[in-house]
Amino acid sequence: MKILVCIKQVPDMESRFRPNGDKTWYDESDLAFRMNEYDEYAVEQAVQLKEQLGGEPEITVLSIGPERTVEAIKKALAMGGDRAVHIRDDRYYQKDPWQIASMIASYAKGEGFDLIFTGMQSQDRGSAQVGVIVAELLGIACATTLVGFSYDGGTITAKRELEGGIKGVAKLKLPALVTCQLGLNTPRYPTLPNIMKAKKKEIASLTPAELSGEAELTATAAIYPPAKKGGGLVLEGEIGIQVDRLMGILKEKTAVLR
Amino acid sequence: MDFELSQDHKVLRDSVREFVEKEIKPIAMKIDEEHMIPDSLVNKMAEMGFLGSYFPEEYDGAGLDMLSYAIVVEEVSKACGSSGVLISAHTSLACGPIYTFGTEAQKKKWLPALNTGKVIGCFLLTEPDAGSDAGAISTTYRREGDEFVINGSKIFITNGGYRGTGVLFATSDKSLKHRGVSAFIIDLNSPGVEILKNENKLGIRGSYTTAFALDGVRIPAENLLGQEGQGFKIAMDTLNGGRIGIASQALGIAEGAFERALAYSKERKQFDHPICELQAVQFKLADMYTRIETSKLMTYKAACLKDAKKNYTAESAMCKMLASEAATYVTKEAIQIHGGYGFICDYEVERMFRDAKITEIYEGTNEVQRVVISKMLLA
Repeated sequence: MKILVCIKQVPDMESRFRPNGDKTWYDESDLAFRMNEYDEYAVEQAVQLKEQLGGEPEITVLSIGPERTVEAIKKALAMGGDRAVHIRDDRYYQKDPWQIASMIASYAKGEGFDLIFTGMQSQDRGSAQVGVIVAELLGIACATTLVGFSYDGGTITAKRELEGGIKGVAKLKLPALVTCQLGLNTPRYPTLPNIMKAKKKEIASLTPAELSGEAELTATAAIYPPAKKGGGLVLEGEIGIQVDRLMGILKEKTAVLR
Repeated sequence: MDFELSQDHKVLRDSVREFVEKEIKPIAMKIDEEHMIPDSLVNKMAEMGFLGSYFPEEYDGAGLDMLSYAIVVEEVSKACGSSGVLISAHTSLACGPIYTFGTEAQKKKWLPALNTGKVIGCFLLTEPDAGSDAGAISTTYRREGDEFVINGSKIFITNGGYRGTGVLFATSDKSLKHRGVSAFIIDLNSPGVEILKNENKLGIRGSYTTAFALDGVRIPAENLLGQEGQGFKIAMDTLNGGRIGIASQALGIAEGAFERALAYSKERKQFDHPICELQAVQFKLADMYTRIETSKLMTYKAACLKDAKKNYTAESAMCKMLASEAATYVTKEAIQIHGGYGFICDYEVERMFRDAKITEIYEGTNEVQRVVISKMLLA
């Protein structure tokens, strides 16, 4: 079995975010970077499947981005990936999900992957489109937002998270692509010996020009911080009424009470 | 000259940081209160490879380098100075001399269990009357057939309470001073090894600091480390490397306190403003950060010199001195920035303040470090 895991390196969510000079992306000078959280679930699930199948599958990790992206790739290799493909692209942030997915599909087409894992979305752009477009371009089955995964004899049983806390179960035959959601698993820490082993694993380097010349379908016009609202909402009055109002807001606007 | 960590070191740092955030930070206060690092954490750190970071894979080490080791100790110590010194004493003081001075057979026999954390290592040099004057030890050894027989006592032995594998120093004849000292590898479960007590301390309370009586302990002759009479050199060389570990521990403690002080100064409001807007607080933060960064540069430099197999004696003394003095300074100021809250255990900076002090004392007091540095200058 050949497995592909697509990962992205994103800014650490605790960073201070500011739009860049031409207001189409973040100013990266102050940012720390890490592997997209949802992609960590994808890597972990791939490694768990490899372990379940006695180590037979080969896991290829793919990422698109500048030189620093290699840090995320090395983490994925230290978690258990076997080899990696780095599509070196300093202008990655100017590409829309269609272009990104086209590059991945163009690479994957000739490789014959049986199963592709991606994160449900990236934490920086958050389009949640790349995985499904790759599946469409490759003409393979796809299930999104997985919170459960099992595999037996060529069939995936995918537990999906639906609205309102409801779960759904989908069955897919290989080849297939799944996108991974929070709650699917607990990603392992890369251990020191595995970080050492990862140093010896192959990281092949490709350029965007070798893969796809697709033009963008959506262009980012602007990114900007929202206008500052004054002080938020202050609840006043008798304590019981305040509690009722707070409960109402939490139920209506958030998922914490579901 | 490039002051950036390599990509591999960044991956390592981020992985260790993630582990520390989830597995150590939440229990650091408990470790201090209960005077014990839970076995479950020791096992998890062992699984992570923290106990054999820079030794080759053929001895079940992780095969990384000294800089990686410094980063591990630093990151762990940000959350818990006790766990940091467990790693440092184990790695630098027990695995270190066995790796550097051991025969191939000794390395094959002892290192795999140490590197994988199956046993915890310690370094038995200090005695009640021999601290900085390490040549004055009075624990004796004598040869009997194919064994050495050891008699004496050892105190302040970090990690001693685990009864794992020790590197022990003893003299054949006290009047020979340092020339009479030899080093041995000892299994601390051997008959005649008695734990007198684990000390109650100001700081690093989760770390064992053990007093031993050694009463006719028989060690196979094959456990002699290096040559007879080479013990003092082995001890000094080992402490040389160990100082990088202690500098990293001190650096981590300082950084942990600084992170808290910085965050608190932004949250805490007095006179209607966050206190970080007060210049009195800003100057403290600037001084704290400067000392941390200076210590970090010197610590990483010492580690890189050791990795490059260059002389690092002065640098390891300087980084230990700088970082430990940064740690006592920064933790003290962190409490001051927290005001009364800093004096309360829940805010954790008081623990860091207590943990910091020992770093100016052990593995060579800072006075001894100054001797080492000035010797280099005047040689």
